[in-house]
Amino acid sequence: MGFRSFLHRMTAPKMTKPVENRPIKLVLVINHSLGMKKGKIAAQVGHASVQTVLSAGSVIPHIVDAWLGQGQKKVCVKATDEQQMNDLFSKASQANIHTSKTIDAGHTQIPKGSYTVLAIGPWYEAEIDEITGHLSLL
Amino acid sequence: MLSVDDQLSMALLVRNDLEMTPGKVAVQCAHAAVDCSLQARKIIPQIFEMWRNTGSRKICLAALDEEDILYWKEKCNEVGLVHSLVRDAGRTEVPSETITVLGVGPAHKTSLDDLFSNLDLYGVE
Repeated sequence: MGFRSFLHRMTAPKMTKPVENRPIKLVLVINHSLGMKKGKIAAQVGHASVQTVLSAGSVIPHIVDAWLGQGQKKVCVKATDEQQMNDLFSKASQANIHTSKTIDAGHTQIPKGSYTVLAIGPWYEAEIDEITGHLSLL
Repeated sequence: MLSVDDQLSMALLVRNDLEMTPGKVAVQCAHAAVDCSLQARKIIPQIFEMWRNTGSRKICLAALDEEDILYWKEKCNEVGLVHSLVRDAGRTEVPSETITVLGVGPAHKTSLDDLFSNLDLYGVE
């Protein structure tokens, strides 16, 4: 790359897709089969949220910014077991929705390597609801 | 391997006097964790990266009530710790503008332990 085109690239405005004016949310699916206590669940959901915000921030920054601006809506739902979490993960991946898995280090309460939370989003609420709408709130 | 003195952690103080479902508490804690993380990434990027690389340790502690949370927020201001107070939008369960959680850190685990030594773990009766 020549110097001029390098400069041009450095100074060009960032390409961002326009954000549609629709509600955006983050869904956190808990693995209910692990029987975690409420403090543990809260910490795991915290891990999942930070993780997904950081990773989504590098792929879909415009969505993350819009979501933060809308008040970072989050919903916590429960899955019966790891099998159901895997199904939800496949469905979200097929729909091209950002996801992030949280695996516990196993310092407290549950065995190392337990799959505790699946974060889906942040993404448009209507599209996420097609995947997680049937799950019950925690 | 890091020594215990170097370990980093984040504390999430949850109001124990509100009757929130576990899912509600989790979501409020997540708000605090995300806010603190984004602040820390700007203000103390090295601590933030180190915390991320060492398991992003988090702990949930029980605060008595709103007054208690505000007291701890003031303490964090004095000591100069990154913190974030979560006020619920009140769409569910609690009235609008209710203070629910205070997130503190990431910071050195020892300084958090010193500060919050008389608080119990959240959810342990």
